[in-house]
Amino acid sequence: MDWSIYMIQGIHGLVYGMLMFLVASGLTLVLGMMGVLNVTHAAFYMLGAYLAYTLTAYLGSFWLSLLGAPIIVAALAVFIERFLLRKTYRGGHQLQLLLTFGLFFIVGELMRVIWGTAPLTVPVPRLFSGEVSVAGMSYPVYRLFILGFSFLVLIVVALILSRTRIGIIIRAAVGDPDMVDALGTNIPLVFSGVFAGGAVLAALSGVIAAPFLSVYSGMGLDALMDCFVVIVIGGFGSLLGAFIASLMLGQLHSFGVLWIPKLAVVFQFLLMAVVLVVKPTGFFGEKE
Amino acid sequence: MSVILKTEDLFKDFSGLEIIRGITMEVYEGERHMIIGPNGAGKSTLFNLITGLYKPSKGRIHFLKRDITRLPLHKIARLGISRSFQIINVFPMMTVFENVRNAVVSKVHRRFNWVSILSKDREIERETRRVLDILSLQDVRDDLASELSYGRQRHLELALTVAQDPVLIMLDEPTAGLNSEESRSAVRLIRQVTEGKTLVMVEHDMDVVFGLADRITVLNDGTVLACGSPEEIRKNEEVRKAYLERRTGAAAGS
Amino acid sequence: MTRKVYWLAWGIVIVLLLSIPYLLPEIWIHLAVEALVFSLFAVSFNLLFGYSGLLPFGHGALFGIGAYVVALIFRNYPDASLLLTFLLAALGGVIAAAVIGVFSVRLKGAYFALITTAFQMFAFAVAEKWRGVTNGDDGVTFSRPDLHLGGLAILSMKSIHHVYYLTLVIVGISILACWLFLKTPLGNSAVAVREKDVRASFLGYNVFLTRYTLFVISGIFAGLAGGLFAFFEEFVAASCLNLDTSMSVVFMTVIGGPANFLGPVLGSVVYIIFQDWISSLTRHWWILMGCFFVIVVLYLQSGLISLIKPEKVRLWLDRRRG
Repeated sequence: MDWSIYMIQGIHGLVYGMLMFLVASGLTLVLGMMGVLNVTHAAFYMLGAYLAYTLTAYLGSFWLSLLGAPIIVAALAVFIERFLLRKTYRGGHQLQLLLTFGLFFIVGELMRVIWGTAPLTVPVPRLFSGEVSVAGMSYPVYRLFILGFSFLVLIVVALILSRTRIGIIIRAAVGDPDMVDALGTNIPLVFSGVFAGGAVLAALSGVIAAPFLSVYSGMGLDALMDCFVVIVIGGFGSLLGAFIASLMLGQLHSFGVLWIPKLAVVFQFLLMAVVLVVKPTGFFGEKE
Repeated sequence: MSVILKTEDLFKDFSGLEIIRGITMEVYEGERHMIIGPNGAGKSTLFNLITGLYKPSKGRIHFLKRDITRLPLHKIARLGISRSFQIINVFPMMTVFENVRNAVVSKVHRRFNWVSILSKDREIERETRRVLDILSLQDVRDDLASELSYGRQRHLELALTVAQDPVLIMLDEPTAGLNSEESRSAVRLIRQVTEGKTLVMVEHDMDVVFGLADRITVLNDGTVLACGSPEEIRKNEEVRKAYLERRTGAAAGS
Repeated sequence: MTRKVYWLAWGIVIVLLLSIPYLLPEIWIHLAVEALVFSLFAVSFNLLFGYSGLLPFGHGALFGIGAYVVALIFRNYPDASLLLTFLLAALGGVIAAAVIGVFSVRLKGAYFALITTAFQMFAFAVAEKWRGVTNGDDGVTFSRPDLHLGGLAILSMKSIHHVYYLTLVIVGISILACWLFLKTPLGNSAVAVREKDVRASFLGYNVFLTRYTLFVISGIFAGLAGGLFAFFEEFVAASCLNLDTSMSVVFMTVIGGPANFLGPVLGSVVYIIFQDWISSLTRHWWILMGCFFVIVVLYLQSGLISLIKPEKVRLWLDRRRG
């Protein structure tokens, strides 16, 4: 085994890790705001991927589906937050958990009904098809696009949160909703917005993941488990922790598949179990 | 007089904000030790540190000659320290009887008993009734805790603290929210149930403090400003400036 | 309700349950067995959800492991003792719960819920891939051995009537055991810890250990339920360990009502009947079940049983808001 194979696997791990972070970051933001893990998030991711398939097929352009899918998913998210989730805010966390899990399930089943259970392929957009020479081996350009696009999205989100007025309001609302409410900001609107924002992030990751991972009925659950492991290891509510954990997990996934393809899932499992015993709040998390 | 509780140079900070900055104090067996101080002085935090809810960032705590600094909360409770809460913390959806019974079950170490029927346990039943009697709660024993009047809830809060038969009783502002009549009756009750035990109590009402105290510790800004007999505290200049004059309005001492 | 009426009502229920094989057509007896099995599963789930305040989304793992224990034993040892094998299924549930609990119970809320799911998906992956033992998706088939009643008689388990009675007895005893358990001091500790874990700690209760113990005990009955299920179906596949199993018990318990001991039983009966009826109308009955669940979560939090026993409703709703 020469080092170029390791390098390729490393890049592969990086790609997977960034994708995971893109999905997990939306979840972490909503977690900070609502105080509950929004399980429906994984369904938004899945819906993004399935919409990518359909929109690309009907509109003939991957880029249009990259635009369209998040809009559709965001609309669904707003509907869910406004009419369903909002009723549970005063009911306690368990109620929200039951609801989001129930919704995850329903949305997942709907997708199974509409698109069937067979895996679907989404063609890689022509602009990024083809391969590039990396470390003496050829590597699909599209995967590098995933890397670049994820970085771009995250930088945009980071800028919005830190520089714009809306971003400051969001961060304040996440920290202390009552105070911000008292200052006259429309808190329900902010909540809807953050929820929809998280859904957009999920859908975007779903769309760009589609040509890479293919679209299958279990992808929501797989993403949910991945996100969950990321949050546990990285620390609840910590974006930095989620980032580092995602990258770690990406590498683990990549090399795990290389060495023990059948039970690659064991590694991330073991890591999570170890972290839970050694540092139950995760590496960067604060005590709940 | 033996020392049953001792803190050594306790420090506690929350994400960099220092609340407790070096508290060393001793509590003698059998005494009634009042803790007073302005809001934000760290009284409740000190309570939480001693009872194990928070762990100090520096310093040690000794109880009955044992270092309890790193012990988990429930173990400290079992060693004989019990506390009441400033904001009423009873089991709202259980009856008064069931509330007290929770404490009694723990006292007789039957928390994990899975082979006997709880309602048929005569010893637990008797002991629970005894505590209810002492606290004059028998007439509401089947009422839900959340449905009691505020004054009665305070009694229940006290009952839970006392039912464990503790060595050291720590009360956190037990007269908060009570009118002067209820307050007087509460103090009478506290005097009665802490007979023969050691009491550490946080209190704002100076009449209550000077009425009950054997010794007083004054906290300010996370440190001990003064500690001594009521007379000594009344005469202490610093204490008067920082706290007493504010409380009583006119110059204290007559 | 006076004591006499109470006992009379129960007497009638027991007589009805015993007469089901004579009252109902055969297809309904199959449903009755399923309802019994899932009642036990849901009761075990509610020990955690309703009484301990823990919501696991991966409870199916314990169920599935119990199922595999029974299937694998009967496949490889066709003459094994029935009762011993069911005991081993319960033991499988206990061991699995003991392991999973160590990692899970220290977490709260959604994290607890999802880590149990993670463990369950792990078990599912193992069952799928370890073809040598579990035969993966194709599963393990076997024939039900006869029940040897202590040398006195041999009862063939080929007849669904006999399966029904055996299941009825085992489930009945188990549910009764759960009910009695909740009346013990340990049952009370679980509720106290659920209500106010900090206060309970200050009273000397070890919150983690209490929750962990309940988790392990719940494993007994979940594993047993899984074993009974395998016995009934004469077949277990990896799909038994899939998310559907875990979701179904959440649905059943929430729809039935977690505030009352028998709520989950009602929920399972409704669920099984609903499943049978709707699936004959459409392939997509799962979605309707999901919608029904969401409606209950939003508008009838105390479950269907609150329509029958309203005095529990207020207590439960107030608890939920706390």
